[in-house]
Amino acid sequence: MSQLKEQMPTIIMGGFLLVYGLIVQSGALEPMAKYLHTHKTLDLQVTMTLVIGCIAILGAFVNAVRKPGNSNLDTFILQPLGGIVLILLMAMAIRWYAEPLMKIVSKGLEPTLGFKIYKVLNLNYVVLGILAGVLLTNTWGIPKFAGPGVKCARFVLKMGVIMLGARYSFAELAKLGGYSVFLVGFFVLGTVFLVLWLGNIFKQPKSMTGVLSAGMGVCGVSATVAVAPVVKAKSAEMAYTIGTILTFGIVCMFVFPTVGKLAGMSPVQFGAWAGTGILNSAQVAAAALAFNAVDIETLKVAEIFNITRVLFLPIIVLVLATWFGKETGQKLSFKSVVIDKFPVFIIGFLILFFMSSIGMFSPPSHYKGKYIDVSYNDRSQVTPEELVTLQDAMAKSEFSGLKPEQLEAVTNLIEQHQIAGNYDERNDKKAFDHVGRARMTQLQGTLAAAKGKEITLSPEVKSALKHAVKQVKKKSKTVVTLTDFMIWFFAFGLIGLGMQITKKAIFQAGGWPIVMGVIAGITKAALSFFVVLWLIKDVVLN
Amino acid sequence: MFNNVLLCTHGTDGAKKAEAFAFRKLEEDPELKVTVLTVLDEDWRQMTGDDWLNSSKTHTTFLDHVENQMNEEIAEEWQRIKTSYSSAEQATFLQKTGNIAETITKAATELGCDLIVIGPWSKGKKFSIHSTHMGLRTTLRNKNLHPLLPCPLLIVP
Repeated sequence: MSQLKEQMPTIIMGGFLLVYGLIVQSGALEPMAKYLHTHKTLDLQVTMTLVIGCIAILGAFVNAVRKPGNSNLDTFILQPLGGIVLILLMAMAIRWYAEPLMKIVSKGLEPTLGFKIYKVLNLNYVVLGILAGVLLTNTWGIPKFAGPGVKCARFVLKMGVIMLGARYSFAELAKLGGYSVFLVGFFVLGTVFLVLWLGNIFKQPKSMTGVLSAGMGVCGVSATVAVAPVVKAKSAEMAYTIGTILTFGIVCMFVFPTVGKLAGMSPVQFGAWAGTGILNSAQVAAAALAFNAVDIETLKVAEIFNITRVLFLPIIVLVLATWFGKETGQKLSFKSVVIDKFPVFIIGFLILFFMSSIGMFSPPSHYKGKYIDVSYNDRSQVTPEELVTLQDAMAKSEFSGLKPEQLEAVTNLIEQHQIAGNYDERNDKKAFDHVGRARMTQLQGTLAAAKGKEITLSPEVKSALKHAVKQVKKKSKTVVTLTDFMIWFFAFGLIGLGMQITKKAIFQAGGWPIVMGVIAGITKAALSFFVVLWLIKDVVLN
Repeated sequence: MFNNVLLCTHGTDGAKKAEAFAFRKLEEDPELKVTVLTVLDEDWRQMTGDDWLNSSKTHTTFLDHVENQMNEEIAEEWQRIKTSYSSAEQATFLQKTGNIAETITKAATELGCDLIVIGPWSKGKKFSIHSTHMGLRTTLRNKNLHPLLPCPLLIVP
């Protein structure tokens, strides 16, 4: 009976999800969903809530009738089930209700405030999720039933990064990898040595400067946790350092995206800056998604930088161990310093990258699961309404400002109802494909010219052209599914990590670490900002 | 009046006032039983914050280091007490891990104490670059401590 009582929160949450799913399925929430602009997600809402609701109730009853064992099913699914369902419930509530409401309220307040709170504070589902997690843990606290589930956040976030591996091409990884090794290498080592130098200037103990330099230089709390035992950090030094890093990191999470947008940074530039300048790697992912939560371009760049500096962690631990050991005579094995600190999940990331690269998720000729298919296909056609719009525009000479090749592409689009090669060349696949792609490029050029106000096109015409281009850009279903899962994994992981940031940990900030940390952190953020703007112009991501 | 006193200290300026009081009383009354309690705050487990990169092995290594380090620092702290107060040799020294309020009251109950002595709340020098302390900064809140008290509580001003 007591076991059933313990499972009641999970049963209630599962029941709520089932009822909600059924209400959505009945169509009763459609008007509200349209008001919130979430109506396109209604199918997903039904599927997710019904599936998760069933699993929650089933799992809770299994937990109620039998004592938890030590099997993998118990450890990874049944025991943390309550916490997993709670975080998923929060993620769904935030994605489908809190974020849209925030946008509406923000828009409503714009005439009074003169700006959109939503945009200035980047209050998208990622940031709201972290804030909700932090708020919950520091007010009511994490409910007892959710404790084991919250701990899963670390694992789930790693899974998100592993899945992200499927979204890179060799060219992207090579280009971004080159930039990241250079930038991260320079700033990681630079910050580590800056803190060590400051420690020397301010005459602070080596154990404190060692632990702070790793935290400020490499990857925040993760580096502090890894380095503290190596440099024999004292309790107050660890508390001060972790508090300082958490506080600085949270401030960065809000400040970076706003500064990036004000400075007009491209997704690639922002990803590089966040991946270099923000201390905690979870906050790097959060800032990247805060900058651009719809497209994962920024996240892709930021995570490469993140992974690069994580790879620097064992090296820095080794350097600090040697530096610290010289004075104390302490000797550490290569295994305990480097092998044990190696982030194993990066191997998973690389495996997904190679699987994707050899065409396991989409044909190898396709560019990372998103490829151009100009062959004849009903699904590639524009809609009948769009066709009428284009024909009318042509009749009214709306395309008169276009270059001859752009005009030819539009004319052919109207003739063939889709972007394609020449009908007569349909048996010569290479020539057909070449002409079709060239037409797509011309249409993209037309849209760019309209955006740059070189020519004037009506919104309906622009929409029809955009749709035509979009229709020939196919996506691998596997990659799309992996990406959808990945976004939910990141949302889950970041909410769960938010739940592990306590005000007590933040309020430990103080002492010399806050002085040295702020100097080093601001120097790193400011310098990396200018270096990124100067060095990284653009990298084409697909 | 009191026979069995639980002195709670973690070396702060406020706690030192409690120490001075308890050991003065011990000097006055050698029959008095004084137990010095230092609590290792369980919230150290939360100090890994939003770290998600490290393996559970690295987390365990970190928490083991914290425990060892705190043991060393607590031992130094007890040595300071023994050096500062001659009567401290007669006291019993006890270290426990857990929630501060719960651990203090549980220890008082187990030891059959009739008085708990703690130092006053004092405004910390949070952002002072010279501030040093042992372990985590924490505030013992009346609303958490008072409902659990098994005996009178003396806050030495």
